[in-house]
Amino acid sequence: MLANRESPDGGPETMAVRPGRDQGTAEPLLRLIDISKSFPGVHALRGVSLEIHAGEVHVILGQNGAGKSSLIKVLCGAYLADDGVIEHKGRRIAIQGPADANGIGVGVIFQEFSLAPYLDIAQNIFLGRERAFAKAGIIDKAAMHAAARDVLAQLGLNYDTWTFAADLGVAQQQMVEIAKALSQNSSILVMDEPTAAISERESERLFEVIARLKQRGVAIVYISHRMREVVALGDRITVMRDGAVVASYRRDEVSPDEMVGAMIGRSLAGLKRREALAAGAPVLTVTNLQTAKLTDISLEIRAGEVVGLAGLVGSGRTEVVRAIFGADPLRTGVIRLDGADFAQRPDRSTRAGLALLPEDRKREGLALPLAVGENATAAALWRLFRRGWFAPSVAEKVCRNLITRLNIATPGPAQFVRNLSGGNQQKVVLGKWLAAGSRLFMLDEPTRGVDIGAKTEIYRLIDDLAKDGAAVLVISSELPELIHLCDRAYVMRDYRIVGHLGRNELSEKAILDLAVHQ
Amino acid sequence: MTDQIVHAALTAPAAALLRRIPGVTFILVGMIVVFAIGNPRFLSAVNFTNIGLQSSLLLMLALPMTLIILTAGLDLSVGALLGLCGVVIAELLVAGWGLPASVAAAMLVGLVAGAVNGVLVGYLGLPAFVVTLGTMGLCEGLSLVITNGDPIGGFTPALENFYRSTVFAVPTPVLVAALVYGLLSLLLYRTRFGNYVFAIGGNKDALHLAGINANLVHTGVYLLCSLTVALSALLLLGRTNSAHPSVAVGMEFEAIAAVVLGGTSFEKGQGWLFGTVLGVLAISVLRNGLNVLSVEPSLQVVCVGLLLITALLIDRNRKQASQNGA
Repeated sequence: MLANRESPDGGPETMAVRPGRDQGTAEPLLRLIDISKSFPGVHALRGVSLEIHAGEVHVILGQNGAGKSSLIKVLCGAYLADDGVIEHKGRRIAIQGPADANGIGVGVIFQEFSLAPYLDIAQNIFLGRERAFAKAGIIDKAAMHAAARDVLAQLGLNYDTWTFAADLGVAQQQMVEIAKALSQNSSILVMDEPTAAISERESERLFEVIARLKQRGVAIVYISHRMREVVALGDRITVMRDGAVVASYRRDEVSPDEMVGAMIGRSLAGLKRREALAAGAPVLTVTNLQTAKLTDISLEIRAGEVVGLAGLVGSGRTEVVRAIFGADPLRTGVIRLDGADFAQRPDRSTRAGLALLPEDRKREGLALPLAVGENATAAALWRLFRRGWFAPSVAEKVCRNLITRLNIATPGPAQFVRNLSGGNQQKVVLGKWLAAGSRLFMLDEPTRGVDIGAKTEIYRLIDDLAKDGAAVLVISSELPELIHLCDRAYVMRDYRIVGHLGRNELSEKAILDLAVHQ
Repeated sequence: MTDQIVHAALTAPAAALLRRIPGVTFILVGMIVVFAIGNPRFLSAVNFTNIGLQSSLLLMLALPMTLIILTAGLDLSVGALLGLCGVVIAELLVAGWGLPASVAAAMLVGLVAGAVNGVLVGYLGLPAFVVTLGTMGLCEGLSLVITNGDPIGGFTPALENFYRSTVFAVPTPVLVAALVYGLLSLLLYRTRFGNYVFAIGGNKDALHLAGINANLVHTGVYLLCSLTVALSALLLLGRTNSAHPSVAVGMEFEAIAAVVLGGTSFEKGQGWLFGTVLGVLAISVLRNGLNVLSVEPSLQVVCVGLLLITALLIDRNRKQASQNGA
């Protein structure tokens, strides 16, 4: 097995007997002092100082572009800081590459998956650390797979370790990513929104593991937008804004409202339910839809309504919207738009007024190497021709309008979309469909990986859409979000719709009762 | 992938196992049946020896090419480099250098070509297609400069004797190719280097973040390919008993076709080394069968192209069928 890296006090035993409250005054495991990093035109980090203590969870909060990702990249050696000092156990060190970061025991669970698709789970978990299983250069596969099964078992998973990463779903990939970081026995474990793609159940497992790691004296740097997790996990909470630290708290010193206030610079009221609007005529009617996976899906959405599609990850929610949009072939079933049949083909759907905001915006929602303008007009190209020729001036105008209307933080339409933060990227995807003049919006996890500031803006946009008479279908794994947004909701389990909840019946418990096997 | 097939064989139902076998297997079996019916001589031991001999040289190019394609790359220079190394060895043998020194010189040529390809692709991130197109031109041009365009003959018969020799009735070149397959298979599936080959094609950044010098590994794949090609020049000289500057031009086409036939994809590091063996056999059987049926050589090239496209279509349909799930 891999060698256990020593905890700062010489071993887990000494950590366990040490009273928790004394840790605040102890020597930090890692101290960042005045770290700065700039790129042409952007100050990603401005004099960030941070203390990371053994046996503590240090939560870092911040909006899109607040500098959290840059900070992680400095920690793991992907970026070299321009300025500042890093101390490890009181000794000044330099992190000049991933090898240096590994050397002091930094492990990272990346938000962008770092798996190789055609290596199997075991090979991915131990990528770069195969030496531990090699004899005379030949890898002992049996030992490696046994070790991989051990790590997965810590997370309560019994995946087949011979499966290629390519054959795993998003949530499973995330769990493998977590297992990979766990297996490194890191003394500092950085988690960048680890729960963004996994179900509540899997999150619970992760939190149990985090508690165990804390007891072993591991320092955890945890990045999340979910206030519930921040409150439940964080021993220390640091809030970043515009590349700088704006506030730092101990857990018992602060309320969620205060933290949100520090993040966005103003206080935010709790999530009240959206006001219901008078529903109009049915926009979408789906009757007995069946595909290779789905059975017997029937639903209806009226103009001015926001309807939820609830269910656990993998219950078939994404498949429903893909089938309606024409991205996957139907076996049987009728889909009517405004009471009329229409052909299920993405190009026809787009012109008929359907919009699909996919779950995986980087792969399906955006063309990352292209500019904001090219992405924002991608679904509306046919509207941008004048006398048969593409009219760049019209496109430019449409795009500038969108940037203002959606409050997209970008220097202009020519900026590459991959340089935007997650929340702003998501706004570009929404803008793409606004430009296309869609009337039925199907939003698959619209706020995944998006911070609270952008989240409230997306909520406001959804409300605006409904007020303008559009019909909206929202898929979300965050139950408070569904309850906040939706007038009513369908609940799915095992690729079927198993229930419908009206406005007054909608609650977290009611959804879970239907979504989970009894 | 071999591991996955073995694992599937032990755990999965037969249907799942069948789905993992590349379409070229069925084409190969089909062709053997058709050619055997067309001319019974096809099934003779002599003819199988021929097919083995025809396959051995192609395998020496296609096997390392598989590793390169797994890294989402390509090496167009293998044919021209093979020709150049053949010319170098022949020229030096005629000049009286002796076999070991001549082979060492050819290895040096392979080393330089592989280093140029590898550094430009691995470290500088230039597109493999363009880089190796460049080295292909270089090698071809150098062969012509060295020989003035004339074939070189009259060197030691040792190479031809080696090529014609057999061990327990199996031609030595076939054993050499089998040895190369064994070594590369071990390298690809049982060593760190092999893991990193798949990781480079799938997610080079991840490998870099794991603290591995991904650029060095990437370069190594091209070096490995060029060195294997340099050694293969011995088989080429043994087969033709002369060195001609353009004899191996176009062999990169068959090598790449064999890899793709075997089910290796240009993306994401998806592929299978044994698939390449099947691909090579399919091409050799097709050419041999057409020979036996007295089809013109130029038409045979047309058939290899058709074979490639057919296999791709079959795999696409099978993939779609399995995705729609039955």
